Amino acid sequence: MPAVTFLPGFRKISVEPGSTILDAAQKAQIHMNVVCGGEGKCGKCIVFLKSGRVDFDRKKFGRFFSPGEIDEGACLACQTVPLDDVQVFVPENSLIQEQKILIDARGIETEFNPAVWKYALELAPPSLEDPSPDLTRLLWGIEKSGGPRENKIYVPLEVIRRIPAVLRESGWKITGTVTLVPGGYRLIDVEKGDTSGNLYGAAVDLGTTTIVVYIRSLIDGEVVGVASNYNKQISCGEDILSRVNYARKGGLSHLQSLAAESINDALTSAANNAGIDLDDIYEVVVAGNTIMTHILMGINPAYMIEEPYVPVVKRYLTSSASRAGIAVKEDAGLFIFPAVSDYIGGDIIADVLASGMTESEEVSLLIDIGTNFEVVLGNSDWMFSCSGAAGPALEGGEVLFGMRANPGAIEEVSLDMETLVPEYRTINQIKPKGICGSGLIDLLAELLRACIIDRTGRINTSISHERVRTGRYYPEFVVAWKHDTGIEKDIVVTENDIKNLIMSKASILAACITLMNQAGIRREDISNIYFSGAFGNYINKENAIIIGLIPEVPPEKIKNIGNGAIEGANIALLNRKKRKVLDEIARTMAYIELNAEPSFMDEYTRSTFLPHTDLAQFPMVEELLESCRIRRD
Amino acid sequence: MPMKVDIISEWTGEIGEVTIGATKKEGGSRCAAIVIGGGSGFPFLGGSAPGRKPLIAFEFCDDPKLWSPIVTELEGDVVNDAGDWAARVEELHRPDLLRFYLTSTRRRGFQDFSQLRRTVEEVLERSTLPLIVEGSIDPAIDSETFLCCGEAGEGERLLLGTAEEGRYRSVAAAAMAYGHSVIAQSPIDVNLAKQLNILLRETGVPHDRIVIDPYTGALGYGFEYSYSAMERIRFAALKGDEDLAMPMISSAIDSLNIKEVREADPGQRGEMAVKWELYTAVSSVIAGASVVCVRHPETIVPLRSAIDSLWGKTGGGD
Repeated sequence: MPAVTFLPGFRKISVEPGSTILDAAQKAQIHMNVVCGGEGKCGKCIVFLKSGRVDFDRKKFGRFFSPGEIDEGACLACQTVPLDDVQVFVPENSLIQEQKILIDARGIETEFNPAVWKYALELAPPSLEDPSPDLTRLLWGIEKSGGPRENKIYVPLEVIRRIPAVLRESGWKITGTVTLVPGGYRLIDVEKGDTSGNLYGAAVDLGTTTIVVYIRSLIDGEVVGVASNYNKQISCGEDILSRVNYARKGGLSHLQSLAAESINDALTSAANNAGIDLDDIYEVVVAGNTIMTHILMGINPAYMIEEPYVPVVKRYLTSSASRAGIAVKEDAGLFIFPAVSDYIGGDIIADVLASGMTESEEVSLLIDIGTNFEVVLGNSDWMFSCSGAAGPALEGGEVLFGMRANPGAIEEVSLDMETLVPEYRTINQIKPKGICGSGLIDLLAELLRACIIDRTGRINTSISHERVRTGRYYPEFVVAWKHDTGIEKDIVVTENDIKNLIMSKASILAACITLMNQAGIRREDISNIYFSGAFGNYINKENAIIIGLIPEVPPEKIKNIGNGAIEGANIALLNRKKRKVLDEIARTMAYIELNAEPSFMDEYTRSTFLPHTDLAQFPMVEELLESCRIRRD
Repeated sequence: MPMKVDIISEWTGEIGEVTIGATKKEGGSRCAAIVIGGGSGFPFLGGSAPGRKPLIAFEFCDDPKLWSPIVTELEGDVVNDAGDWAARVEELHRPDLLRFYLTSTRRRGFQDFSQLRRTVEEVLERSTLPLIVEGSIDPAIDSETFLCCGEAGEGERLLLGTAEEGRYRSVAAAAMAYGHSVIAQSPIDVNLAKQLNILLRETGVPHDRIVIDPYTGALGYGFEYSYSAMERIRFAALKGDEDLAMPMISSAIDSLNIKEVREADPGQRGEMAVKWELYTAVSSVIAGASVVCVRHPETIVPLRSAIDSLWGKTGGGD
């Protein structure tokens, strides 16, 4: 069996003949960047062969490398099969890095109605005069302390088995924990002594890329710990479809355990920071997209990506956390958000809950831009939703120097309109390594303002300026010179990158307009546009309108709800009454299948223009661009 | 009993007009300055002003190797000299306009711009009809080619082709510098047609110097898409969209290469080509084209008679 040694860490792993270097990396727990899921399409998993022989088609994939990189033995890990023992060097850029993950939920205002209670009891020991059984004694005690009626509480066998010892060893001073379950209550734990102060719950946002957890006291609702983490499933493919494909090829249980592991890691670090024990977490509420929640629950997601795209479950699910492998209190409750469809999952319902758009008659538009995009339009009476693939460009994929929001990513850019010199800010203020989504949106808007690109995104190569040049394949604009960057290459944005970005933004705008047309809503009727997801938090609102990512509304109507998924999960954790609202949202929301909507393609083509082919829909942008043109002439 | 249907339109827009060709008086050398476009309705849809009667342009070129042998064999040696060919077309085939393709620029590494200029000048000398000139299709030589054509035809109010989304600056620049108009071609889509017109407008080409080419597939080879795109362009214009209110040009040139023509019995190949070109062109006229272009000389007579009989005395109005 060939062995692969990964440098610089010298981790060595043996693999079956025919396995790729990426397979080896996964086995060695080295989390590589695989945007395309290992199909040789994204060029992000570059490794350098230091010794040994491999099978790799350098001609076919040569476009991903610079000549210097080819000389150093560049290969794509996912397309390279070691023929004997090899050593490969993994550059930092090919690894998944610490990312800017949105964790701050806004101060949540919701009634405090948790679904778990602890009752500290001092019970009278049994006697000949009072011979009632241990369990009855315990349940009566709970009822007398203001808890549910004795006959409404179900008690699992495992708990009953522990009761006699706990009662007697503690001298009849115990704490019982009761949780709300469908149709009644459940006694999930009996502990010695008074532990009623140790009652916590966890809210989890299970994203395709990242996981965020909040640990809250279920006595007063306070946040005690927060942590975030990558979804470890990334090593099985970055986008959601590659995960489903992985599950289809027999990888479901592996994905399930990676999801649980990722949640456990985040919970552990949040609990450690808070100085609490994971065993004191008695309920876990998870909001995630439909595929993620299916996978977490070990339910086959395969049928969601085939016609007619049906999920196995849409309703909310309750179970015990341990059955999903979540390492909190044994038998702690697990609440999984409901879904509307394959693509409108619990994360979007959480967004809607967090935005408050169901509580008002004002019409709001909610947009979640992540690995895929989802759009919801509606108010307290009605709601339309749709979803689509925006392509990876806004997350840095299919863009030559695109990257995720990792340290070194240019996240903000402006151009000096006279000198065309860019001024940028990078994440963590280090030398730039690439450009992330918010930076790309800024760039597009600024290049348009400066008339360097036209409305289809073509670079005007007749501009004579050192930053406007023709690269190996496409015209390009130099954002940062080699000597200013952290990667020893000029960072450029090419015409092809811009084209990909325009396709991404066009599908989002077209989805918004399609929903608006379906509902008979004009842009003037929209009172709020909510951005949720990590992306919405960092983008420049005006620039998003200038490029036509969203319909033109006065910028003050655009609000970031931050990570709506974690916020919604927090609300549901603290206020069980909102769980009913979730179900109602899931039932009333209509889902528009864009693929089945004939006007969508037309609207998409109209939207592949900056900002849109119907300029009358963007009056403020038109005025602005007109003044830019006049200034240039 | 026949039912009378009153068509009540709420159209407010009008199709703009474009002038092609300049007479001696106007500083050119053409026999006429032709105005195309105009109108505030659809052709053959009673009750509205359909605009002017559609015109026929005949297409020829300066490098016959890239032309259909059906045409070059019929035309004979004259195809080897663009001037001679132009003169013959005017005298024998009698179209309304000429559309001259500089196919010589489509050779790899073409650089002979002085010859190109002489060719355009010669065609202008040997002809009198208003002229459409089709330049290169390679961004690398577009700038010089169109500059050449534009300059050689200065004062003649040529119609220059072809601007496309990815390469419109050179042809637009030449048109503006030397007073010509531009054909704006987009791939069978009303939105893409509009986008290109906006781009041209923003480059400085005024609306009355743009002719839309929505791209025409041969009948049976996607023509229904062209028809629908043309109809939608016209509808949008009539509803007041100024960025689409230009006359349209349509060229059924794919007709000569389709399977039915290629595989026809050699003795009937010409006839088949004429039929296919004719039906496609007539369909384009019905869809709203102001200029229809053909390549087979024998298409012109039946096409003219079809247009005349369809149009009638009232210009297709009633």
